[in-house]
Amino acid sequence: MTTLPITSPASSRTGVPVAQSGRWRAGLSQTVRAEGTKLVSLRSTRWTLLVTAAGTFLVTFLATHGALHHNAQWYQGFDPTNQSLAGLAIGSLALGVLGILAICGDYGTGTIRSSLGAMPRRGVLLRAKVLVVGLATLVIGETLSFISFFEGQAVLHGGAPTAALGQPGVLRAVALSGAFLALFALLGLGIGTVIRHTAGAIAVFAGVTFLVPILFDSISHGIARFAPELIFANSIAAVHRQGNAVSVTIGVMLMVAYCAVALGLGAVLLNRRDA
Amino acid sequence: MIVTRGLSKRYGNTLAVDALSFTVSPGVVTGFLGPNGSGKSTTMRMILGLDRPDAGSALVNGCAYADLSWPLREVGALLDAKAFHPGRSARNHLRWLAQTNDIPRTRVDAVLDIVGLTAVADRRAGKFSLGMGQRLGIASALLGDPGVLLFDEPVNGLDPEGIRWVRHLLRDLASEGRTVLVSSHLINEMALTAQRLVVIGRGTLIAETSVDDFVARHQSDAVRVVTPTPQRFVAALSRAGARPSVQPDGSIVTSGLSAADIGELAADQELTVHELTPMRASLEDVFMELTSTTVEYRSLSHDHSAAPDALPAR
Repeated sequence: MTTLPITSPASSRTGVPVAQSGRWRAGLSQTVRAEGTKLVSLRSTRWTLLVTAAGTFLVTFLATHGALHHNAQWYQGFDPTNQSLAGLAIGSLALGVLGILAICGDYGTGTIRSSLGAMPRRGVLLRAKVLVVGLATLVIGETLSFISFFEGQAVLHGGAPTAALGQPGVLRAVALSGAFLALFALLGLGIGTVIRHTAGAIAVFAGVTFLVPILFDSISHGIARFAPELIFANSIAAVHRQGNAVSVTIGVMLMVAYCAVALGLGAVLLNRRDA
Repeated sequence: MIVTRGLSKRYGNTLAVDALSFTVSPGVVTGFLGPNGSGKSTTMRMILGLDRPDAGSALVNGCAYADLSWPLREVGALLDAKAFHPGRSARNHLRWLAQTNDIPRTRVDAVLDIVGLTAVADRRAGKFSLGMGQRLGIASALLGDPGVLLFDEPVNGLDPEGIRWVRHLLRDLASEGRTVLVSSHLINEMALTAQRLVVIGRGTLIAETSVDDFVARHQSDAVRVVTPTPQRFVAALSRAGARPSVQPDGSIVTSGLSAADIGELAADQELTVHELTPMRASLEDVFMELTSTTVEYRSLSHDHSAAPDALPAR
């Protein structure tokens, strides 16, 4: 490195050169903008999205392709919408990880000290992350859900019953599935805020969303249907609900409650703990 | 202006910071000095609101950090550990930081220039050397052009030229009227950079003073004399009430009389003097002695509590 200037002319003590924001103090809008920049300026975000899209569309292709050319009995109760949204299970995991990275990326690298130095009111920082992660994954989720639906229907056209958005319940299933992906991301964000370590948070996320409820299902029958992944697959992404799946309303309420608990606990711990 | 009052922090059974009260004033570089593990970083983290004190308070410009309206425009900090994501470029790191406090984008380029990272600004920070990472940390601290600056071991990982640059930067920042607190475990580094000192050991305050005062107070009054007639000189010194001792090299080191007095004495008694040198304990020795009882992790092979060796004045 060459010889360096010591200070620039701009750094004299008189007149702090700041934008004329007219605001009296840094708040949510500034932090939201910054969190948005943080999210898009990381290569890992782009990689996560690429893998999410590829995985989602691949699994949807496999699921719908496997549903082609069966006999009439096989198609009893067949839900072409649900079949074409099968790939979103991958999306739910990947976007959950995105939510986890939004906070654990800060902790794992020490960036959290910069984040809290710039916005010491910790609740504001978490709210900004909720907004940025929630809005970004809502857009991504809806995109994934609709593309997955059309992709699946195109495959099913080759020799199976198909669905159209105009049919009863289909648009609801597709649109709500997209929104549900955003809830998975927020659940990941909440769990990440509590756990603070990426690997640990991913393990807890996977455990909470399907592993543990499925394991416990053998002891207490029927408990698995309250697991986020099973609510998603059997209630939200379904036009014809099967078996003991919870209703769409209950499913949404449960998932919102899970997110609220995780984020609430995260907020309490974030405020209490040393950074 | 930074003011701490009774600041305390406990980790498990360890009292990391113990009722620490000191004031850091604007316009001078204040060195925050203590051995490793003495609580410097913890104290700085409490000032920045990252760690919650168990007791006491730390105020910046009369405010708790969390109550500052625009934290980055009032306080800039470089912490000892890295505080940026290795996957983000230096420019993007500074960009999002600027956005949090409505700092204009032009300032990002300005601080990149100040720290000399413009050429590598779009490279991922994870590829940076320790010194470049340190410069990015300094750029972050300067971003909001704050009146209060905290630097935790800023010369860590810097090459000699970088160290010189940081010294000048710190002094310039202070001369612009800013409050500058710099932690270090190296007193010689602080003697070159700081005008005031806050010395701590095991989380408690040892001294809060100016560097000159610190040196003067702990200065030994020994004087070294080289003479062709050591025996006669020692006898004369002893008669005059000094406490001389002959060194292996034949010179005499004595305390109890100033160099001027010894010169007068030599003239009166017609003793030949080849050399007459006031001696001063090195800062490092003074620092070692002061903190030896408070060092948390002391190596057994070195006994720092031994009397300081006297060295010629700087």
